[in-house]
Amino acid sequence: MVLKLYGNPHSTCTQRVRTVLEELSVPYELVVIELQKGEHKSPEFVAIQPFGQVPYIDDDGFKLFESRAIARYLALKNGGVGKIIPDPKNLQKFALFEQGASIEQSNFDPSVSALAFENVFKPLLGQKTDPATVEKHKTTLAGKLAGYEALLSRQKYIGGDELTIVDIFHLPYGALLKVQGIDLLESDKYPNVKRWWAELTSRPSWKKVSGQ
Amino acid sequence: MVLKLYGYASITCTKTVLCVLEELNVPYELINVDVSKGEHRNQEYKAKQPFGQVPYIDDDGFLLYESRAICYYIARKFGGIGRIIPDPLDIQKVARFEQAASVEVTSFERGASGLVHETFFKRIKGIPNEINPTIVEHYRMMLENKLEGYEAILSRQKYIAGDEFSLVDIFHLFYGALLKEAGFDYLGSGYYPSITRWWNEISSRPSWKKV
Repeated sequence: MVLKLYGNPHSTCTQRVRTVLEELSVPYELVVIELQKGEHKSPEFVAIQPFGQVPYIDDDGFKLFESRAIARYLALKNGGVGKIIPDPKNLQKFALFEQGASIEQSNFDPSVSALAFENVFKPLLGQKTDPATVEKHKTTLAGKLAGYEALLSRQKYIGGDELTIVDIFHLPYGALLKVQGIDLLESDKYPNVKRWWAELTSRPSWKKVSGQ
Repeated sequence: MVLKLYGYASITCTKTVLCVLEELNVPYELINVDVSKGEHRNQEYKAKQPFGQVPYIDDDGFLLYESRAICYYIARKFGGIGRIIPDPLDIQKVARFEQAASVEVTSFERGASGLVHETFFKRIKGIPNEINPTIVEHYRMMLENKLEGYEAILSRQKYIAGDEFSLVDIFHLFYGALLKEAGFDYLGSGYYPSITRWWNEISSRPSWKKV
């Protein structure tokens, strides 16, 4: 049975999973959950995903949610080891991968997701953007990117010297920054970040998923 | 050479790493980084940890930061497989563990740490007048929304990653305990019965009580 991805093409977290599926050339069926109709909050959906969020997968009966967990599972199961995830048996290499994964989730995601919520999603929901919140998160993000700049001056990618799913995790919210007129990832202020981001966004998997 | 942990033992995620070291009986040396004096923000420190955060480890020359990454490394290296982390060959068990690990970072820590930083940490810094009620409300609602999901999960399984205790349960201890100090006893009050059952169990482990 082909893998089923329950999500929405406009959802950042669904895009995260789809990019990894494309990287691995894994066939899948996207089952569209209509967010605007509140399908993700229905009792049937919440019985599977208790936080009422997209996406989740059904891999021949095995259900899993959390886009990053799904990405890891897909990489480990579908020949991603040595390509987009290191061999777990290599203790130090995998530890640096986990360090990168934690950096993305704790030092990048909070700011970029909050900015996307204020500037992109709130207007769609008929709510008002709060400029003070936007400024606060922009300042935090700039501080974090200084750390990214230092890291990327010592190693090629976030999880080590090879590209991994951790780099891919940055794409959906990172790409939304430009839409908001925030050019921090393309700024000459952070040349290594700029180098890394340009490479990441030019990958065919991302171009396909983001509809370019 | 014994593992060196550079951190600030009392109120940072250094405590989480200490708990895991104790849980697995790993010998270590704790080297104090004086966060109260801003030692973590100087150039010398940032050469090791570019985000200016504690903790990091030096394991015989191998440097690693991010408390959760450190904990995974310690678990993998010092006999944690099959005890607090799943066997890497069991892909589905690993996946459920990673699902829980992701939930902890985005659905628990984000709200819990936001709430604790805005209330408890401002109080101990001596600036209670700077507590912003709008921000408190924002994080309170964020956390309460997620705890509904936690209650559903923990009503079906014993621990956050499945029916066995794991590292992901340990990751909740630091901010979970501080929530009570901050005056938000969501976890222990019994309002969410399955959450309280789980919280009482994980917070009574000897390794946590020691640190």
